[in-house]
Amino acid sequence: MSVIDVEHVGKVFRIPHEKRTTVFEALTGLLRPTDYETFPALRDVTFSVEEGEMLGIIGENGSGKSTLLKILAGIMRPTSGTVSVNRRLTPFLELGVGFNPDFTAVENIRTYATIMGLSKREINDKVDEILAFAGLETFRDAKLKNFSSGMQVRLAFSTAIQTDPEILLMDEVLAVGDMEFQQKCMDVLNRYRNEGVTIVFVSHDLGSVRRFCDRTLLLNHGEQVALDETDVVIDRYVYGKMAEEPVAPAAEAASRGNMKVEITGVTFFNKFGAESTRFNAFDPMTVRIFYSARERIAGPVFGIALYSERGEHLYGTNTELKDVSIGYISGEGHIDLRIDRIPMLAGRFLLTVAVHTHSGERYDWQDKAYSFDVIPTGRDAGLFDIPCIWRR
Amino acid sequence: MAFEHLRTLYDYRNLIWTLAWGDFKQRYKNSVLGYFWSLLEPLLMLVVLYVVFSNLMRIQVEYYQLFLLLGIILWNFLSRATSMGLNAILGKPSMVQKIYFPRDILAISSCITALLMSIFESLVFVAFMAAFRVPLSANLIYVPLVLVLLFLVALGLSLALAALNVFYRDVQFIWAVVLQAGFFATPILYPVTIFGKELQRIFLLNPMAHIIMAARDTIIYSTPAAAGSLLYAGVAAVLILLIGYAVFAHYEPRFAEEM
Repeated sequence: MSVIDVEHVGKVFRIPHEKRTTVFEALTGLLRPTDYETFPALRDVTFSVEEGEMLGIIGENGSGKSTLLKILAGIMRPTSGTVSVNRRLTPFLELGVGFNPDFTAVENIRTYATIMGLSKREINDKVDEILAFAGLETFRDAKLKNFSSGMQVRLAFSTAIQTDPEILLMDEVLAVGDMEFQQKCMDVLNRYRNEGVTIVFVSHDLGSVRRFCDRTLLLNHGEQVALDETDVVIDRYVYGKMAEEPVAPAAEAASRGNMKVEITGVTFFNKFGAESTRFNAFDPMTVRIFYSARERIAGPVFGIALYSERGEHLYGTNTELKDVSIGYISGEGHIDLRIDRIPMLAGRFLLTVAVHTHSGERYDWQDKAYSFDVIPTGRDAGLFDIPCIWRR
Repeated sequence: MAFEHLRTLYDYRNLIWTLAWGDFKQRYKNSVLGYFWSLLEPLLMLVVLYVVFSNLMRIQVEYYQLFLLLGIILWNFLSRATSMGLNAILGKPSMVQKIYFPRDILAISSCITALLMSIFESLVFVAFMAAFRVPLSANLIYVPLVLVLLFLVALGLSLALAALNVFYRDVQFIWAVVLQAGFFATPILYPVTIFGKELQRIFLLNPMAHIIMAARDTIIYSTPAAAGSLLYAGVAAVLILLIGYAVFAHYEPRFAEEM
């Protein structure tokens, strides 16, 4: 049974060229036609969320994710279309709404819990539990303004999770706090999920979305691009973008090599065989190096080197080291480097490509001229995945 | 519709009270004399106005100090409730943009905060009543009704002002001037009878005049409130409340994006 139904929802913001915020301006403005631009934040979005389901919403900044959440929460009204929500809905769009720095921890818990819809009795029963969970028992009567921001977030979070939602809307609240706090958030999210709470989850953290969400909605410039199983949608998001033009190497041709063979371009292909500059960690990838040889060149050696964004040299190889001998090349052509499994966990990586003779004399050498991004899929930390298992 | 909304508001009574009480506490949190500032303010006003108007203007009214003080306290309530109501929406951006509850709760709770402050102030008035040994009568039963009407007027104005202020920021300056003028145009310092018949009729268009007169009659002068005054004030209060809600409802859907 669906508990949220969104049908053909559109939201248009009006952005006046000159904002009339005073009565005087409004009166003088009556004589002139209102001059404003419209900005469609959402266009024809239709989906429904089943009871107990966890739906992810992903997309670039400005794609309308937060607007959609605010419409679901009733904070904004859609310009067109209808939204129906058939269960008690609790939005976690910001932690600590209504926190007052002049009040004590307990007073703030009471206010915030009331705003989040808890009854007086529930609050009385839970104050101690909230303080304990936040690890702030000794600061019971301290004023909030003397708390560190981390303590404030912990207090807000501990209070917020006392609510008993039927539908939970979660914006990027998990993005704040340290590792330990994020872990706590994830545990709570899991608990809610196991209790059968319907959750709508907006996040940039594709790893979390992949781990938790049953289905995912992809928005792009306010349009609903995809709504499907999470894996399918994340692939679409990561690989759907057109490959960005690689930055052309600025180096002078002379410093690159003698240019008897020129590398004319590099493209990256994803597991679907489409061009991309973004890859899921652990997915396959093919690097295609295009060259153009002015004359017949015998025994060229193609090589690559991989760097982290900070310039650390991570890996390098060439055709010679891999015992691949190329008889000769002439004219235009390409050579592929096939990577079965990208071992990097996350980040941007720079690629140097080169072609030279056996003895190392350069035909062309393009230093860190190409780049691609790796999107995390798991939760391991660091730069590289090391295949391993725990045992005892 | 209206009935359903009242039930919703009843469900949120805890929130309304928490917000109102929180604001009330906040006001006095960092001041040394705390709640007593509330008592001092009307007293100082009373002293100044009493000296000026009883000597300079030679106004002859029985219990003029009480007459004046009651007028000041009632007007102060309206003035404070609407001034705070002006910022009820604009002053709480996170509650409007990050969470949902019926927005009029913010205006209602700010009026209740003002009411709490006025209740405190009226302790001064009670003390004066005792000091002057004013006889009390059964006519006091009208007082709650008069106060309810006053509250409804303040709430209606607050709702409209809170909503308008989100869109037109100079409403607050205009309203400050209106309140200033209203203080002198309402029979607070003087009885309306000092004017001729024609002029009186104009002054009595103001529902606040009727509310203050009814309060004085019943509390100070032990006479029943004039039925005409009560009826006029009642109709006006309901109209103001309805118009206030209509204005509020018209602007409410765009609060979150306009702030």
